[in-house]
Amino acid sequence: MTNKFVTAPAPGLETEVMPLRGRMVKSKWARDLLTFLMVFGPGLIVMVADNDAGAVSTYSQAGAQYGTHLLWIVLLLLPVTYFIQEMVVRLGIATGKGHAAMIYQRFGKWWGLFSLVDLELVNFLTLVTEFAAIDLALNKMGVNPRIGVPLVAAGLVLLVLTGSYRRWERTVVFLCLLDLVWFVIAFTMRAPAGQILRDSLVPSMPAGGLTPNLMFLVIAVVGTTIAPWQLFFQQSCIADKRLRRADVKWARLDTFLGACITITVAGCMMLAGNASRVHGFTFTDPAQMAVDIGSFTSGFFKHAILLMMINAAVLGTTAISLSSAWAYGEVRGWPHSLQLPVRKAPGFYVVYLLSVAAAAGLVLIPRAPLQLIILGVQVLAGVMLPSAIIFLQLLLNDKELLGEYANKPWNNAVNWTIIILLFALSLVLAAQVAAPNLFPKS
Amino acid sequence: MATTMNPIEIDKAANQFLVVHPLDDIPEEKVDTAGLGPMRMTRSVRLSLFSLRAYLVLMMILVAYHVLALAGLFGNG
Repeated sequence: MTNKFVTAPAPGLETEVMPLRGRMVKSKWARDLLTFLMVFGPGLIVMVADNDAGAVSTYSQAGAQYGTHLLWIVLLLLPVTYFIQEMVVRLGIATGKGHAAMIYQRFGKWWGLFSLVDLELVNFLTLVTEFAAIDLALNKMGVNPRIGVPLVAAGLVLLVLTGSYRRWERTVVFLCLLDLVWFVIAFTMRAPAGQILRDSLVPSMPAGGLTPNLMFLVIAVVGTTIAPWQLFFQQSCIADKRLRRADVKWARLDTFLGACITITVAGCMMLAGNASRVHGFTFTDPAQMAVDIGSFTSGFFKHAILLMMINAAVLGTTAISLSSAWAYGEVRGWPHSLQLPVRKAPGFYVVYLLSVAAAAGLVLIPRAPLQLIILGVQVLAGVMLPSAIIFLQLLLNDKELLGEYANKPWNNAVNWTIIILLFALSLVLAAQVAAPNLFPKS
Repeated sequence: MATTMNPIEIDKAANQFLVVHPLDDIPEEKVDTAGLGPMRMTRSVRLSLFSLRAYLVLMMILVAYHVLALAGLFGNG
């Protein structure tokens, strides 16, 4: 069977083919660098945005409870997260369509709607946790959340309203690079380099062995490093940026660099948690950890960690809201591109606006059931992640769809191993959340 | 007919390279996914979807168990 080819810009863009513009360079080296810089973005953003508010909490808790002992698990997740997102790169570039559209078209309405509803629900609940973290950090900084949270939400909406993918991407890449402040924070905590290196490279078990608490923290670390929205986000982002087949190797490099940064930053968050533990503090939440660290370093580090927490939540919010808006637009057949002004893609922007506004509004309601929401996120993510990855794996083996970009046997061996592992971990986590009495107390 | 533009146009004589941003390039031809229709249900696809259904049913049972436990159906012990 041969593939049919069509020219397929995003809906609504058909009449907006722009004249060819480019830059002349005089060496292959400059050509490669410039091409990479032009392609660079979706991979870095999806990876760094994955270190969202929930991740800050999980990694710093892991450091605060188990020191540097779990660094090797984080390092082990580097190839895992890269392999999964690399499949998304191939799928996005080959089809020029988002993940939700692919599931809908290749697996039918039932699975398409199931994936969409599950994604929108788990995304919304995750957004609530992002704004809850912003609320918490603003409180510790002495800013009234009733003013701060709506301001952050307004900023997040304005970020996408420019009608330019490039403007959105440049701003978000800048926010991603701000995450490098975690390196400064970790360096200042002065954890012994030898111990960090050993615990990163040599698997070790914390004192006390494998307790249920440790097991679930490990599952949380895995769950926070690989999230369902990432698959939908990066594929739609690649489609919106209209990456070409020739860009595959640069998009892979972008994704790999993003994975390296996000994993290293995750390690830095663990080191911050470890520093608070060494100074005798008990972990409650990352905002309180910032205050504790400020008490033995300086007010600068307290505010730096709180601002990084807000930055993480902002990055998570824009990426997750966009993954919702893109997915909804793809399935409904609405115009859905950051390149389009609001009047040409009203539905796409309304979904983004509603996601941000509803999550921010819910957090401001006094006594909102945040614990129940966090529980819901865990259960739904447990349902969503294995389903999304199964669809991804089946799509990547679809030679009708991908041709030369389909998985090779070694891709499949690696990916099925990851899938089985994720299934088992998701099942244990979901079972623990849904039926805690089944598990012995530590 | 293909209208794909390579992002890098090479003027070999002048030894110059034109680098074009993806958004400034002519949209590349992609696979006509709508024309392909639903995926063929091979044995491995069917098995994967069956496993997924079984997993989802199991998850629903766990959630139902949790709700019933919260309602006190299994006692406090």
